[in-house]
Amino acid sequence: MYALRSDEQMSTDHDPGDPGADGRTILLIGSGPIQIGQAAEFDYSGAQACRALQEEGAHVVLVNSNPATIMTDPEMADRVYIEPITTDAIAEIIRKERPDGVIAGLGGQTGLNVTAELAEEGILEKYDVEIMGTPLDTIYATEDRDLFRKRMVKIGQPVPRSTTISLEEGETVADFSEEALGERVEAAVDEVGGLPVIARTTYTLGGSGSGVVEEMDELKERVRTGLRLSRNNEVLITESIAGWVELEYEVMRDADDSCIIICNMENIDPMGIHTGESTVVTPSQVIPDDGHQEMRTAALDVIRELGIQGGCNIQFAWRDDGTPGGEYRVVEVNPRVSRSSALASKATGYPIARVTAKVALGLRLHEIDNEITGETTAAFEPAIDYVVTKVPRWPKDKFEDVDFELGTAMKSTGEAMAIGRTFEESLLKALRSTEYEPSVDWADVSDDDLETEYLEKPTPDRPYAMFEAFDRGYTVEEICDLTGIYEWYAERYEKVADGVVAASEGNFADAAITGRTNAEIATAAGTDVASVEAEVPGRTYKQVDTCAGEFAAQTPYYYSARKSEFEAGPLIGDAAAGELEVDRDVESVVVVGGGPIRIGQGVEFDYCAVHAIQALREIGVDAHVVNNNPETVSTDYDTSDGLFFDPITAEEVADAAEATGADGVMVQFGGQTSVDIGEPLETELERRGLDCRVMGTSVEAMDLAEDRDRFNALMDELGIAQPVGGTATSESEALELAHEIGYPVLVRPSYVLGGRAMRVVHDDDELEHYIEEAVRVSPDKPILVDQFLDGAVELDVDAVADVGASHAPARQTESDAGEDVLIGGIMEHVESAGIHSGDSACMIPPRSLDADTLERVREVTQDIAVALETVGLLNVQLAVKTDDDGETEVYVLEANPRSSRTVPFVSKATGVPIAKLAAKVMAGETLESLGATEQVPDHTSIKEVVLPFDRLPGSDPRLGPEMKSTGEVMGTASTFETAYWKAQQAIGNDISAGTAVVDLEVDGFETFFDLTTVDDVPQAIRDGEVDFLVSDDRDALESAVTEDIPYLSTEASARAYLEALEAFDGDLEVETVTDRPHRVTQWGAR
Amino acid sequence: MTAAYIALEGGHVLEGRGRAPGTTRGELVFTTAYTGYEESLTDPSYEEQVLTFSYPLIGNYGVREERFESERVHPRAVLARELTDDVASWLEAEGVPAVDHLDTREVVTDIRDSGAMKCGIAVGDDVTPEDAIAELENCIAMSDHTEIGAQVSVDTTTTYGADNDGETVALVDCGVKGSIVTSLLERDATVHVLPHDASVADVEALGPDILFISNGPGDPANYEEAVSLVEAFVDEVPVAGICLGQQIVARALGGETEKMAFGHRGVNQPVMDLESGRVVMTTQNHGYTVSDPGLHLEISQVNVNDNTPEGLVGTDYDVITRQYHPEANPGPHDTLDFFDDVLAMAAPDARAIVADD
Repeated sequence: MYALRSDEQMSTDHDPGDPGADGRTILLIGSGPIQIGQAAEFDYSGAQACRALQEEGAHVVLVNSNPATIMTDPEMADRVYIEPITTDAIAEIIRKERPDGVIAGLGGQTGLNVTAELAEEGILEKYDVEIMGTPLDTIYATEDRDLFRKRMVKIGQPVPRSTTISLEEGETVADFSEEALGERVEAAVDEVGGLPVIARTTYTLGGSGSGVVEEMDELKERVRTGLRLSRNNEVLITESIAGWVELEYEVMRDADDSCIIICNMENIDPMGIHTGESTVVTPSQVIPDDGHQEMRTAALDVIRELGIQGGCNIQFAWRDDGTPGGEYRVVEVNPRVSRSSALASKATGYPIARVTAKVALGLRLHEIDNEITGETTAAFEPAIDYVVTKVPRWPKDKFEDVDFELGTAMKSTGEAMAIGRTFEESLLKALRSTEYEPSVDWADVSDDDLETEYLEKPTPDRPYAMFEAFDRGYTVEEICDLTGIYEWYAERYEKVADGVVAASEGNFADAAITGRTNAEIATAAGTDVASVEAEVPGRTYKQVDTCAGEFAAQTPYYYSARKSEFEAGPLIGDAAAGELEVDRDVESVVVVGGGPIRIGQGVEFDYCAVHAIQALREIGVDAHVVNNNPETVSTDYDTSDGLFFDPITAEEVADAAEATGADGVMVQFGGQTSVDIGEPLETELERRGLDCRVMGTSVEAMDLAEDRDRFNALMDELGIAQPVGGTATSESEALELAHEIGYPVLVRPSYVLGGRAMRVVHDDDELEHYIEEAVRVSPDKPILVDQFLDGAVELDVDAVADVGASHAPARQTESDAGEDVLIGGIMEHVESAGIHSGDSACMIPPRSLDADTLERVREVTQDIAVALETVGLLNVQLAVKTDDDGETEVYVLEANPRSSRTVPFVSKATGVPIAKLAAKVMAGETLESLGATEQVPDHTSIKEVVLPFDRLPGSDPRLGPEMKSTGEVMGTASTFETAYWKAQQAIGNDISAGTAVVDLEVDGFETFFDLTTVDDVPQAIRDGEVDFLVSDDRDALESAVTEDIPYLSTEASARAYLEALEAFDGDLEVETVTDRPHRVTQWGAR
Repeated sequence: MTAAYIALEGGHVLEGRGRAPGTTRGELVFTTAYTGYEESLTDPSYEEQVLTFSYPLIGNYGVREERFESERVHPRAVLARELTDDVASWLEAEGVPAVDHLDTREVVTDIRDSGAMKCGIAVGDDVTPEDAIAELENCIAMSDHTEIGAQVSVDTTTTYGADNDGETVALVDCGVKGSIVTSLLERDATVHVLPHDASVADVEALGPDILFISNGPGDPANYEEAVSLVEAFVDEVPVAGICLGQQIVARALGGETEKMAFGHRGVNQPVMDLESGRVVMTTQNHGYTVSDPGLHLEISQVNVNDNTPEGLVGTDYDVITRQYHPEANPGPHDTLDFFDDVLAMAAPDARAIVADD
């Protein structure tokens, strides 16, 4: 009786009885590299869309420049291109593939912009390519705020008052005197009712260059920059509705005009803070039904008026004006899938990208199955019976110079989402998932500072400051006044704060019910986990089912939640498993994901986790995943056999392992987040007496690799060179060491991980200055002083090995251990030593190493793999230095027996899926039994990085030992030069003529550019006199960043750029990843 | 803390936190709506039921009378994961027992698997599980509440919008929601709200342009007088019905109704109009459905999830009915135009349009 089928009731041009019926070729454009404002969500939506299109029998041609994506895996589409997202490259792909249509709305702003350009340049028309789904006119109508406002007024929807300041055809900002510009700005402010106003630049990502402005002078400055940056020379001035509740509605509409709301989302932070920067809750909590329904109806009316097809997002501002429903304003529409739609999909279980792709093919909502229930269709509005909270993750620890006051422009790199039965539980799970701790000692913060710096001013620390304020006795009313946060929310923050106080006094239940882990409570109470566990309600698993329990769900998507105080005490067996429907008797593994995207831990690790899951399923092992990043493929409900949307802590991962009866846990794939829980997890699994271990390379070996002294000793034993160095506990010791080693030396505090506060110093002065200013050395806080290998070539090697006894379940015995090390690839950095490997462009295969050196690289890698008894992945960072006598030495900088950020790049460049091989090896296979072989590509692939300086005003754009990049692109061609040029195109840094300032010792730019010398380079750049900058001067670079002109900041990159520019002949060599040639041969073998 | 126990058919007793005292019994049902708790709690269709909110947090935006659908709270008791103090004190003032800190998702999936069930509830400082069990033992089946109409209906005819210029509607109150009256008044109708057992003469005396059967609680088989009214007037004036009203109209015209396993209660029920092919989202609250529309009605709208009839249209008479609640409150405003369609049936040229169908 269930599920009305269209073929019984309706006639449409689609025949669902024949799933392979759609034979059209569809071009899908990805969103390129991860940047602030455009993160992994488009890999998730693109990958889902690829599958959806293929289900309908369409041929999918995919293009994306980002190799660290699942969507660019060869099996995801019929034809996969990793090429620059530029009109030139895509035109070439269109010429080769002749697609019938292009779907623009799945590749973020990047995908939309390039599609618009392809249409404007006539390429789509020339090759008869239809824009599927939402039409281009609609996109223009939403991007152009003035046009949008007019459409809203036409259908009677209330919008904030607004006007634009724009340049006439042929006019430039430089034409304006201060006075003339000032007059225009003042007139605009008058028109919208005075200051404060919101100034926005149109056609930019994530609200770049926009914000609430209180002062006229500041506004004039913003307008000037905005006019320069805007794609259509426009800046919008809008009435400020700061302080209203900000809401988003996710809408889905099909070509037959069935139109539904997937969910609404309420920002805890009031209007004025970008929704990507806000703590967001689904569903809305403080809006009465009448108000909610009015906005719901408005959303449907607006989306119908605009003619959007597929998923989109509409934003409202709302306030309680005393009427039953309150009043609202329509703020903006995003006519495409977005970060918010990824969040909405994960929050509700409704797969927005999948449905959008099918709607673009012409299907109606009621013709698309709801895969989660298996018995309903996509024509429904999800009902949820839990609270979802999203908290952004900011790179505050990486940029000391940047002011992280939250505003209308995004600065966060990623986000964590959590699901709970109460808001408190959901909030605390989300905060825990962000793995963020404010670097504040609250004891040092006065009440005044707490109020002005941490409560009134929205920053990443505000939730923690609210807890602190409640501890100090602030009232809910005071907190509401200071923060502008709604009373209902403030009351719940207070409950969270009170829970911890109660816990420290020995009453654990409230802290547990508000969402603290047993370990957190034990710490607060100064007791052990077992004592807490015995007293508090346990956690059980609940299902995400799109329907609040109304239908029995088919899809294994779960979250953990505490039981009530009436069921205190640990839950075991079925009670702990709750609604879990997994087969506990089959072999199964829990794969630990990477949490929110942050600098240094990007989408690469989601790629690795997804590959591990896929590999396990390929060999018949059930794979469950614990992760909390809503943007990712790993948290798609059909990626794994069990999705546990939860924080990544030893306790919560152990819960998943216990409930699923897992044989092992894999912590190698999720980056530092997952590696860090290895040791505590092993302890916790043992404490619970579970027959479940951390798989692959032992936790002990991972620790050894991170312990400097033990690792040094091991390298000495193996006869592998390392830069000489030592530990200093005072300034005099540091100077002594530096003299012993000889300048330049690399210095860093020993207690900080990951390159933070690391510096190269060249003499005593610099060293003394560093110690005084930056670190202050002491016996508890020693600094490390190392030989700096000036001018050395740096290498990265990724390998898979099966040389230890894996803790693989069931099938593995000691004697099954293999003895092979497979090298995935050897990468040579473009930048020389001293720049973080994550920020350096790199190439595969290397171009400047001789056969002897490559052989030594292989040998070193193998020796380390064997010494660490590696089972799974190994990344080794090396430096190759040729001394004055012509002797070449290979030094080891670091070895990490786990996945690295270069794994996807290596896999895409060589065609060898090393993360999958690693997971299989960890599960008990051997490289030999898998028939795995090394492959060396004939073409050169370049990985180039994307840097976030434009989003983080005040940041230092120079590269150094601390990683700052957010994402990467890949360019591939038959020569280094063309590949490098393509990579520059892919990051939009390709300029070949104009006026240049060259301040580095690199000759040759004069062939292409008019070189100029000016006294004040930053000012010349601001005056629009410079088109291209080659310099390592911070002020000049900052100016280039704000004015958005291409620049190069190192000699190494300048040389490579010049080589590429000289050699590039215009042939982009566009080819699919699978068509590029490889040789089956060993890296570094003779 | 006040003790609270809920005894379920099948022998299970749940423990929760008492939020409003009292002992009672009823048919245990759930709604999946997450806004509109004030509207739901004052919806007369919940009479004799114990309402479980599947959404865990109830009462977040306070309690305001202007959002009520009737003059009192109708469910016999309320179960939730978390009730705010606002809503708990309202329920206490209304004498409606309330319990929270329950695993309401377990309650919901239990109802899904076993169907709407009887339950007994005891909330108070000194109550025991046995008190709840005793209530359960006295609980009767919903269809056995034969006088349920009298519990929710007006006693005498009340007229609204007497000065309006539009059509005159005889609205038979089987437990009508305020928004139905408001929706008609907003369209300039004069609305006479009649008792559920109004006689043919009572209706005739008003000379209505339309006979409208309201929503209401319980089994449509227990509304014989309303069935008789439809039989008497169907060839004289256009007839409309909402929810229970649709079931009563169907029974009057030779159709049949049946009890559903656990019914539809929520604000996200997808309904497809068979003529336009368009799907809209609707508010629903019913435990009975039309199993056979009979010979004089055909199905014009269906539930996309389970294919049950959501709209009926007369083949021989001017009749339109909806199983869902086009008046919303709570829920989507997608279907408010139903009231335009109803009133249009009484317009001078309406018969011709209907005949074309």
